[in-house]
Amino acid sequence: MSDETTTTLPDDTETIDVWVAGTEEPARLEWETAATDEGAQKMAVEEPEARLREQLGNVIDDDYLFDEEAADDERMLVNMGPQHPSTHGVLRLQLELDGEIIRRTKPIIGYLHTGMEKTAETLTFMQGPTNVTRMDYLAPMHNELCYSLAVENLLGIEVPERAQTIRVLMTELNRISSHLVALATNGMDIGALSMMLYGFREREQILSFFEKTTGLRMNHNYIRPGGVAVDLPPGWRADVEVILETLPSRLAEYDDLLEHNPIWLRRTVGVGVITAEECLAYGITGPTLRAAGVDWDLRKAFPYIGLDEYEFDVPVGSKGDVYDRYRVRVDEIHESIKIVRQAMDRMPKGDYRIDDRKITPPPRARIDESMEALIHHFKIFTEGFKVPAGETYFAIESPRGELGCYLVADGEAKPYRMHTRAPSFTNLQALPIMMADSLVADTVATIASLDPVMGDVDR
Amino acid sequence: MTDSQSDAAIAVDDYAATVASVVGGSVEPAVDTVKVSVPASGWVSALTAARDDLGLVFFSWLAGVDWTNDVAVGDPPAEEVDQRIEILCTVADVTDGRRVTFSTSLDWENPVIDSLVAVYPGANWHERETAEMLGVEFLGHPDPGHLYLPDSFLGNPLRKSYKLLSREVKPWPGTVDVEAMPGVDDDDAPATENPEA
Repeated sequence: MSDETTTTLPDDTETIDVWVAGTEEPARLEWETAATDEGAQKMAVEEPEARLREQLGNVIDDDYLFDEEAADDERMLVNMGPQHPSTHGVLRLQLELDGEIIRRTKPIIGYLHTGMEKTAETLTFMQGPTNVTRMDYLAPMHNELCYSLAVENLLGIEVPERAQTIRVLMTELNRISSHLVALATNGMDIGALSMMLYGFREREQILSFFEKTTGLRMNHNYIRPGGVAVDLPPGWRADVEVILETLPSRLAEYDDLLEHNPIWLRRTVGVGVITAEECLAYGITGPTLRAAGVDWDLRKAFPYIGLDEYEFDVPVGSKGDVYDRYRVRVDEIHESIKIVRQAMDRMPKGDYRIDDRKITPPPRARIDESMEALIHHFKIFTEGFKVPAGETYFAIESPRGELGCYLVADGEAKPYRMHTRAPSFTNLQALPIMMADSLVADTVATIASLDPVMGDVDR
Repeated sequence: MTDSQSDAAIAVDDYAATVASVVGGSVEPAVDTVKVSVPASGWVSALTAARDDLGLVFFSWLAGVDWTNDVAVGDPPAEEVDQRIEILCTVADVTDGRRVTFSTSLDWENPVIDSLVAVYPGANWHERETAEMLGVEFLGHPDPGHLYLPDSFLGNPLRKSYKLLSREVKPWPGTVDVEAMPGVDDDDAPATENPEA
C-alpha cells in the first residue's frame, strides 16, 4: 500500500483526551472522537430521532425496560472485544451503558475480512468451493453446496441421484454439528460449562465421519460443481448409524441439564427479544427468524437437492427470545436426524458425480488407459470448465439462515462476480435491537443465541 | 420437463411480469431468478411499491456488480459490455414464497443512488459494504463510512480495476512452475496467468 495508510485522522474529527466523570460531560455527538486509526470509536453518528427509536425496536415485552434513566455521568462507552471469549471470534461491540443497562450497541466488524468475493473472481469454477468453504467454517458443506448449485444452475445440469442424496446426508449432518456448537457455546457463555464439553463430544463423532469421508475435519471442499469429490467410504452406514443412535439420548441429557435448570431458564426466557416484523425488515433468517414465529425455511420454500421428497417439520418458536432460539435449534437437530435417516434408507446406487468429462475429472483408472481421459483431467485442473454467460441467485438454508450465492458468469472459466449473501452478516445487524435496554450480563447470552460465525460475517 | 414443472415456469414468468408492471420496470433474463430492472431515479419508489403493494416485506440482500471491459483481475467479459455499476437488491414474500431481485444501472464514473434504509432497515450494512467495495454513494444513508475496511483504506476493492495485491506480489502457485525451456528466451515462455509477475 502507499504511504497513505499512515496518515492522520480526517480533518473533521476532534480528539478529547480524557473525560473525567463528574465534570461537565461533552455533548453526546463528540463521543465519536476517533482515537484509533480504525476510526471505529464513533458511537453516535448523527442519527435522527426516528432512527434512534427504531434501534430500540418496537418490542414492548422486552426483558428490562427502565423508565428512569441514570444520571448523565453514569453513562459510559465500553468496548467489548474484539478479543472477548464470548464474541465467537473477533466481534467488537461498543456498548453505551447506563449503569448496568445497555442503551445502545454498535457492532464493529471487519477484523476477519479477507476479500473472498474478490478472490472468487480469480479462481475457476472448479476451484471455487475451496474458497467459499472457508467462509462459514462451522458449516462448510453448506457453503460448498450453495456455490455448486449456483454453478450447476448456470450450466443447466442436474447431478445424479446418488450425488444428491450424499449431499443431503452430509449437509444435514453438518447442520447437526453446527447446531451442537451453537448449543455448546450458548451454554458455556451463560455458565453451563458442562454443555460445552457435551456439545463438542457429540460434534466430534460427526467430524470424524467427515474426516473419514472427505479427508478433512473442516473446509472439506467435498461438494463440488457436478457432484461430490469422492464416494462415501466403506462402512459409512455403520458410522452414521452410531451417530443417529447416540444423538437422541444425548439430546435428552441436554434437556436434563438445561430444560429443567432454573438458572438457564432465568437467563434465557424473555432475553434478547426480537419480533417477526423486525426480523423480516432486517433480513434475519434461520433459527432466529423461526424462533420469532415465522415458518420460513428455504428447504420447504424453495426445495433443492430433492429435499421436497423428504419428510420433516419446521420447528417454530413464538416469543423470539434466547430460549426459543435454543429450543428451535434442539428441535432442528431432531428433524435433521429424521432427514439423515431417510437419506440413508433411500441412498441409491450409481455415480457420485455427473458423467460429463467436461465438468468432472475422469475416474482414476481411466487415466491410465485412455489418452483422452488424461487430456480431460489435465484441462479441467489447469483451465477449468467454461460456464455459459448468465446470472443466477441460489439460496439454501444453512444452519444460520439464508445462505445465498449471486453468481455472474460471462462465458469464461472464472466467475465475473460472486456475491455471497451471508446469514451471519445479516443477522448480526439486528443485535442492537435485541440488546437495547437489557442488562450487560445478557449481552453474551444474546450474542451466543444469534450464533454468528465471524468468518461468515466478514468474508 | 413434466407438466407441473412447465406450469410452475409459466407462473414464475407471469409473476415477473406482474412485478415489473407494478414497480414500473422491465423483466431481465436470469437463470431461475425473477429479476426486474428499474430506472435508478425510481429505485426507492420501486422498492417501496414492492414492499407495500406486492408484500415483499423480507429484505434479503443488496450488492453491486462492476460491469467493465477493462479488468485487472480475472478474465475480461467474453462479450463487450456497457460500462456501468449495477446495483442488485433481493426481497421476498415469506408467506407466498416469492423472491424478486431488483436491479438498476448507475453511471460508472460517479455512481450515486438513494439509500434504501428508510424502506428496509436491513439495507444498512449491505449499502455500506457496497459503498466501500464499489465506490457507490448512497444518498441519505444514516451511518455512512467503512464497514469492513479501516478508515484510512484507499480504493474500492471490488472494482474490476483494483488489483489483488497479494497476486501482484506473488503469482498463483503453479504459474511459477512455467519456466522457459533451456536455450529459449524468457519472452518466448508460455504466457503465465499473471503477465506482470
